[in-house]
Amino acid sequence: MYRPILLSALIYGLLLAGLISLRGELIAFSLPFMLYLLYGFWNAPGALNLQIQRRLSSDRITPDGETIVTLTVTNHGADIDELVLDEMIRPQLSIRDGSPRHLIQLPKGTSHTFQYTVAGMRGSYHFEGTFAATTDLSGLTRQEQVVRSEERLFIFPDFRRLKRVSIHPRRTRVYAGMIPARVGGRGIEFFGVREYQSGDSPRSINWRVSARHVDNLYSNEYQQERVADVGIVLDARVRTNLFQSNHSIFEYAVTATAALADVFLTQGNRVGLLVYGAYLGWTLPGYGKIQRERIMQALAHAEIGVSSVFAGLEHLSPRMFPPESQIVLVSPLVGDDLEVLIQLRGRGYQVMVISPDPVKFEVSHLPKSQLVHTAARVIRMERDLLIRRLERAAIQVVEWDVSIPLDQAVSSLLVRQRRLL
Amino acid sequence: MTLIGLIVSIVISSASLAWGFAQSGFPSFSTWIIIIGLGWLLAIWQRWNWYSSIALIVFTILSALGLWFGFIPGWLFAGGVFALFAWDMAEFRLRLVVMAKDDDTRGIERRHLARVSLLALVGMALASITMLLRVKFSFEWGVLLVIVTLLGLGQLVGWFRR
Repeated sequence: MYRPILLSALIYGLLLAGLISLRGELIAFSLPFMLYLLYGFWNAPGALNLQIQRRLSSDRITPDGETIVTLTVTNHGADIDELVLDEMIRPQLSIRDGSPRHLIQLPKGTSHTFQYTVAGMRGSYHFEGTFAATTDLSGLTRQEQVVRSEERLFIFPDFRRLKRVSIHPRRTRVYAGMIPARVGGRGIEFFGVREYQSGDSPRSINWRVSARHVDNLYSNEYQQERVADVGIVLDARVRTNLFQSNHSIFEYAVTATAALADVFLTQGNRVGLLVYGAYLGWTLPGYGKIQRERIMQALAHAEIGVSSVFAGLEHLSPRMFPPESQIVLVSPLVGDDLEVLIQLRGRGYQVMVISPDPVKFEVSHLPKSQLVHTAARVIRMERDLLIRRLERAAIQVVEWDVSIPLDQAVSSLLVRQRRLL
Repeated sequence: MTLIGLIVSIVISSASLAWGFAQSGFPSFSTWIIIIGLGWLLAIWQRWNWYSSIALIVFTILSALGLWFGFIPGWLFAGGVFALFAWDMAEFRLRLVVMAKDDDTRGIERRHLARVSLLALVGMALASITMLLRVKFSFEWGVLLVIVTLLGLGQLVGWFRR
């Protein structure tokens, strides 16, 4: 904007000086400036009329992955000599290859296609649009257009699939699944022996028991396996996740939550997710791939937050979860969580806690010294005490050293727990 | 290409203006003009984008002063026009910053340079022709020129603001 004003001021100055001094040389000197200004205005670009199509090679990636964004810009307006295109990209996304900014010539009715590759941290990113601007040759006049877009890029947490997680809620649903239902019927695991009923397969007759009773036959009964309701609670409180120098263990918790949600859904269970942080982010329970997508989207959005209301877990209301279902809490845990978890257990919920180990995590980021070592020992003892109390209340606690991948660290524990219960 | 054009135009502008002042017996002014020119080159290196506008104003004022005092107009015209050329190039260079590796940088630079060079040439030619066509500068001519200039520039500003 200042450029035409500056030029105009110079031209005025030269003309006035020429008039005052009555010197034609000064007026002649102003001619190149006038010509430059007039050419700029004569060549001023018209309103932009651009159509932009954006294609993403994949709109769901992991933090290790990348997506190729292809933009095709079509000019439906007049010829454009210099068109600046600048993609409005969230600062959290990084450009791996190509450029989101271009300066091109775009004649009327033609198209230009360019590509760039982006990657980023876990999250949901909206491509707001493309900023387009053109100027005349002299940069005196300018036309701008922002072409909005609707595309979204989801960067889901990256996790390695767990093979199996055994849970034993008191109540199961009616559909067949993989969770022992504590009810006799068809299944794999032996449940008991009962009198033979017509319709029982001859293969199920327990001949050894029947031989002892001459008057009747007896059949083996197996434990029915059904699906269950699983409520996963992701602790997103700052006080439990954020440590010195802004080191956060939250990403690990998110990864664990994604892996657990995936394995429970794969087993056919009805899974819901509650992100417990600055607010309660509730993904209603559901089955299958659509629910997996919903949960992954919720996890992509999840972030730690502070709230005086949700500082403790006391707002973890039992009404959020079906009675006597399985609750899985993914949390580094703090001392005052104990009471709430014990209350939930007392109400008949089967509670499992996957706890990324905050002590090892924080110590790994601190300089090694005697003081740190002593402090770590004290905190370790407090934590061990907390975990022991939880286990005494029949709450299954799985400690996870986050320096080891989740599947390696906990899968054996999660399967072994089945035998213990 | 743009950088070369920019540097060459700054050198020509400073040199011709300095030469014009030196030939008219003002070597101290020439020294200052050279210093400002060197400062302009330094500003390109240091990316002081504001400097080019200041330099254009200073060079235009110095050229106008020279013309007012009757120095040799050819050198002063060249100094002013090449300062305008350099000012344009400096701004164009800023616009080129957004170019990606696979953009047609050379094509855009070539087209821009050709047009601005043509404009500078036509401007110089017009100024030279005007110098040859000497019309007696009466009061009526002056009033007419002022009115036409005001109306013309008023229209331009109005058009621009729309």
